[in-house]
Amino acid sequence: MSEDEKKARPYREVDTPHVHIGFDKNELMLKTFLMMLIIAFASVIVMGMPALIHILVALGSVLAVYTTIDSYQRMKGVELTYDSPASPLVAGMIVALCMTVVGPDLGGRAPYTVTALVGVLTMLVFKYGQGRYFRRKYINPAAGAKALVLLVLFGINYLAETFEGLFGGALDGGMIFHSHHSPFELDVLDPNEFVDLLEWGFTTELPVFGTELTATQSLFFWQTHSWIGGAASIVTLIVGAVAVYWLRYKWRIVVSCFVSMLVLSVVIGMILTGDYSIWEMVSMRVAFHVFTGSFIFMVFFMATEPQSTPMPEISQYIFGVALAVLTFAFQLYGIVGGSILALVILNIATPFMDKIVIKKAYGFKGKSAR
Amino acid sequence: MAKNDKMRKDRIQKKFKEEGGFEIDLDIKIKAIDDEFSEVPPADEMRVPLRQQVGSAGDPIVEEGQQVKYGQKLSEDEDDALTVPVHSPVNGTVKEVMRYENPLSGAPEPTVIIETKDEEREPYYDPMDPDKVSRDEMIERVRETGIVGQGGAVFPTHAKLKDAKDRVSHLIINAKESDPNVACDARLMIEEPEVMVDGIKLMAAMIGADNVIFATRTTEGEMPKLEKILKREGIEIARIRPNYSVGYGRLLVTEVLGKEVPDDKNPTDVGALVQNVLTAYAVSKAIRDGEPLIDRGLTYYSKDVGGKNLWVRQGTPVSKVFEFLGESPGKYERVILGSVMRGTWISDPSIPIIKAHQGIIAYKEEEPHPYEDQTWCIRCGYCNDVCPVDIYPNLIIEAQDIGDTDWLQKLNPGACIDCGLCAYVCPSHINFRPKMKKAKSETSKSKLKQI
Ligand code: SF4
Ligand code: SF4
Repeated sequence: MSEDEKKARPYREVDTPHVHIGFDKNELMLKTFLMMLIIAFASVIVMGMPALIHILVALGSVLAVYTTIDSYQRMKGVELTYDSPASPLVAGMIVALCMTVVGPDLGGRAPYTVTALVGVLTMLVFKYGQGRYFRRKYINPAAGAKALVLLVLFGINYLAETFEGLFGGALDGGMIFHSHHSPFELDVLDPNEFVDLLEWGFTTELPVFGTELTATQSLFFWQTHSWIGGAASIVTLIVGAVAVYWLRYKWRIVVSCFVSMLVLSVVIGMILTGDYSIWEMVSMRVAFHVFTGSFIFMVFFMATEPQSTPMPEISQYIFGVALAVLTFAFQLYGIVGGSILALVILNIATPFMDKIVIKKAYGFKGKSAR
Repeated sequence: MAKNDKMRKDRIQKKFKEEGGFEIDLDIKIKAIDDEFSEVPPADEMRVPLRQQVGSAGDPIVEEGQQVKYGQKLSEDEDDALTVPVHSPVNGTVKEVMRYENPLSGAPEPTVIIETKDEEREPYYDPMDPDKVSRDEMIERVRETGIVGQGGAVFPTHAKLKDAKDRVSHLIINAKESDPNVACDARLMIEEPEVMVDGIKLMAAMIGADNVIFATRTTEGEMPKLEKILKREGIEIARIRPNYSVGYGRLLVTEVLGKEVPDDKNPTDVGALVQNVLTAYAVSKAIRDGEPLIDRGLTYYSKDVGGKNLWVRQGTPVSKVFEFLGESPGKYERVILGSVMRGTWISDPSIPIIKAHQGIIAYKEEEPHPYEDQTWCIRCGYCNDVCPVDIYPNLIIEAQDIGDTDWLQKLNPGACIDCGLCAYVCPSHINFRPKMKKAKSETSKSKLKQI
């Protein structure tokens, strides 16, 4: 609140209503964190220790920056940006859950340094910096930080292979632009190659009873090569749906994005069947495009980030559809996990989307209102 | 507990349900409904503002030192269609005619200070026989007795009746009682249903409406006596959604008749007149008993005392109400007059109760203050979802902050009805009122709307 607003408070009509529903921002953040904690728990069961370390590293790096900012502001006696660690905790958890783990079968090593770097940038530049400079966040902090880091790493990877050592082979370890994904070597469009990719990347064995899971099954229940937030994508789906309802996230984005992706994957599965039946191909396409961690977690917990997404209802639908289409396009071009780029692009377009169509106000509808 | 009371309690709505799935707790209302009306005696010194309605104040027609009778006119301006006379609430002596803080505007406005002689209530006007007078004479009586809308909007009732006469097909009685801290309408529906229904019939006769609809949030069997009388008189009961915002006159027309009231029109232009249920009571008293509108029912609430239904004369200082209840205003940090959603916060307990006040609510310092922890907008969109008139409060504030006047105009802040729901749900505790007020003044050509 500005000094002027504080001074204006004695004005008689200023403070109405005099009651509040009693649900505040911190509560919203803490409940969001709680929801993601359930997902994190499921992911650690599926992915094991690497997922846990990523989560701790992400939370630790974000909280370290938060503590530094908080201590500095207290020392200087200036207004605190965060009145509780609730919002940084959410940011930290999103960073953790949008990081990728590659199962031991694929020989990948989790790039904890990248996670730490993304955590620091999320909190310092995209959360605190953006908020302070613009008084609003235009880009989803975790998405912005991750996209920035990966673009830089992408450049480094191609400019000088030697730099890879710096990250301990991290770039081969499962980030979106690492060498087995790039330069767009994955042919996700060709149905037969798509199936090969699926089997190579997702076929796995359950640690209990040695049960072998097909790629489609593991994409629904047990992804060991994925974003951490989508390791048990069925859990992410259920928890996400509960969170959207309970915490009133922008559900139109979720519904339109989810349904669009579903339609796109069904359509492509029906058109490009390769050596498989329509049913086999459609189920594999849906499993991959909709239930892969980079989509299922993003759609519930990143695409609904309130500040960087549109307000009017129609714009939210447009945002959701565009996000699905862009993500799908990136996936087909081999930029697996490109949902983060799609999200950043649409975040930037949000101020324009806000102005596309607004509802007519009561008294201006020009028809029977009910 | 009487059988009827038990039935009512079982059926009562516990919450208002707003757009977007938000809820308003009705705890105060539910607790207060069972409290019978008590009459607050007049104070030794009554402060009667000469403007207690929308529109301007009448000219004072009494002078210092003059003896006045209960119900005698203190002001008049017959030329202004929106001015109604104000009457003396006691037998007494005019001590002073001065400018004093008006509870409607917060600014000093003409006020008559009266030293109370006694509490007698002798009706000032002669009773009227509705069968022997014309409709215009009855409407004139409504004006002469200073009746204004009792739902809080205080629009002069005679002006609405005149506007509606022979023009509307529907008289909608607003028995919604939306304010969550108020139960006086519901209490009066239990205590005085005959008088209330009589007032409804009189108003229907004045305007010549063929259809009378009693719009209520109550469920069947909650008010058995009233329901029986309404049935007997052939008045239709419309059971409307238990929403706070639906009680706003224009939205009520939509709720009941399914017709939108265009922004530049009044409900009468779409064939409906909306009157509050307490107004109906006042109309019956004015016509049948010759009683001007001098007092009104209101609900007091504080945590210590609970909900109390009181009958209070206009001009009674708020401190007198506290005294009557054995309370001390000094205990409270915030005293709100009227609705907890829209009312004014007074700092001085000598401010008088007027025709607009359907409630008093007192909060101690330790009770949560909605705007203490204001922070930045997180763009959650709750305010947009809950807004009953489909505008975007948060986009309005953003447009205002960046000075985008074209965009602000398109967002139509003028449609805001000041319901307060946006601030009520905002998790960042943003105080919309001053911002919306500014946005409205920047964009709309001000026009007094009838509600
Ligand atoms: S409810 Fe409050 S925080 Fe949410 S969009 Fe509206 S103003 Fe912003
Ligand atoms: S106060 Fe105005 S802007 Fe806010 S919810 Fe009510 S009508 Fe909408």
